[in-house]
Amino acid sequence: MASFRRRKAVIAGVHMTEQGDLSGASPQQVYWQVVKGAVADAGLQLSDVDGLIGPAPEGLGLRGTLPGAAMADLLGRPLRFQAYTSVGAASTAAGIGPGIWAIENGVADVVILPTVSAGKGSGYTSADRGAAIAHMAKLGTPYEWLWGTTRVADHAVIAQRHMHQYGTTSEQLAEVAVAQRHGATLHPLSVMGRKGEITVDDVLASRMVAEPLHLLDSCIVNQGAGCIVVAAEDRLERARPRIRMIGYGQSHAYLDPNHLPDLTTFHGDVASDTAFGVAGIGRDEIDVISISDHFTINVIVGLEEAGFCKKGEGGPFVEGGALRIDGRLPTNTAGGYLSCTHAANSGTFGLIELVEQLRGSAGARQVTDAKLGYIHGVGGVFQSHFAAVLARD
Amino acid sequence: MGILDEKFLPPDDMPEFHRPFWEALKAHRLEAQECENGHLRFIPTEICPRCGSQDWTWRRLSGRGSIYTFTVVHRAPTPAYQADAPYVVAHVELEEGIRVIGNVTGCEPGAVHIGMPVEVAFEDVSERWTLYSFTPREAA
Repeated sequence: MASFRRRKAVIAGVHMTEQGDLSGASPQQVYWQVVKGAVADAGLQLSDVDGLIGPAPEGLGLRGTLPGAAMADLLGRPLRFQAYTSVGAASTAAGIGPGIWAIENGVADVVILPTVSAGKGSGYTSADRGAAIAHMAKLGTPYEWLWGTTRVADHAVIAQRHMHQYGTTSEQLAEVAVAQRHGATLHPLSVMGRKGEITVDDVLASRMVAEPLHLLDSCIVNQGAGCIVVAAEDRLERARPRIRMIGYGQSHAYLDPNHLPDLTTFHGDVASDTAFGVAGIGRDEIDVISISDHFTINVIVGLEEAGFCKKGEGGPFVEGGALRIDGRLPTNTAGGYLSCTHAANSGTFGLIELVEQLRGSAGARQVTDAKLGYIHGVGGVFQSHFAAVLARD
Repeated sequence: MGILDEKFLPPDDMPEFHRPFWEALKAHRLEAQECENGHLRFIPTEICPRCGSQDWTWRRLSGRGSIYTFTVVHRAPTPAYQADAPYVVAHVELEEGIRVIGNVTGCEPGAVHIGMPVEVAFEDVSERWTLYSFTPREAA
């Protein structure tokens, strides 16, 4: 029964499927599997869902254009709310804000935020790795891909400039990969965890992809699905720690790198300052964070953008295992895009891990007494950002 | 013809106001938009991000600049590009104060460094399209 009044919303459910090669399953099958998993995790039923952030399952005709209408057919009743957020790989996770606002304003009761990469696919979700990389190269802004850029190259030029301007080293970049791999070894669904720990020397000895970024500086390419459920608090019966969003912000900084005066500074502070300002807490109170980590440089720059250190100090900041689960600022504790999963709208998995940490259900990866978390999700090459501060009651 | 078969060319469906840039390249000139208030910009946009002007003329650029940042690509996007690897993709800061992206040829990739003086070169890659790149130059 829908309720038309203002009330509080919480992040009520999360779920992720197996990550890796899902080419044998259909995207539709996996979509409903992950949605049902997240709804069950919230202690709710599929029949409770009345809102969607993101796409309907893939299909013919207008499914892509009218996802809410498509869901009405599939759920057998009208949907009350649908929206998209556009922050690249963090688009689904960025939907947490609009999802919560919809509920708190009485527009919907239970909103799902699913993301799926499965099946044979085409374009950059293709199961054909060569075709996927070629299509990803064309995600660059108009014309730069004529010169043989790749997603790795797009970030390598930032790493190179960061090194030049601030003295950041390849060893510091490698520290990010090492800390995150440790987390992945403790996550049962991570793609790279089963390969075991890595060292700084392993990263530096791995194949060069686009200087200065090596293979182990780079995210993995895999399939998988994840889903988050946001629900009105008064719809929840299960007694468990309530996870709330206490601050949120976005920043859309630039599209063409030629338009950015300094290729190490990306206006992510606008999103982060908004989120912390609304939350009314300081960075020093945060226990655990997720930062989009397409490449190791993204974490170093991301820490700066999010204000956990000054611009240019990200390299020294990550030294000495600072980002490990037992470190000064536990970061991407499930392994991130580098070592856990980089499937579909992969920012979703960073948000899922934060929820697990704040619930105290992260098992061997648990950060001691984690109460406050922060996520900094990035779309493109730091082109769009979203930030959220999460808190456990 | 699939995405993996040949190097990429500019898209046929580009906005009409982009075409003068490519026509100038065809004539071996590197040009950028200059708004009525003298603000240069690249790549083409329909409005000046500094003053909001929607009027512009095309200004010929010196083609001289220095490398702002770069990478050496070892793993290329497609087999057609892989044949050239390792190759340099650089962001070049032109004397006029704007940055453009292009390959650096005419020297070993290992010789390229930030601050290196370069100048524009042109390559007719098909009957229809000309691309630019950069080569090392003596500093003035």
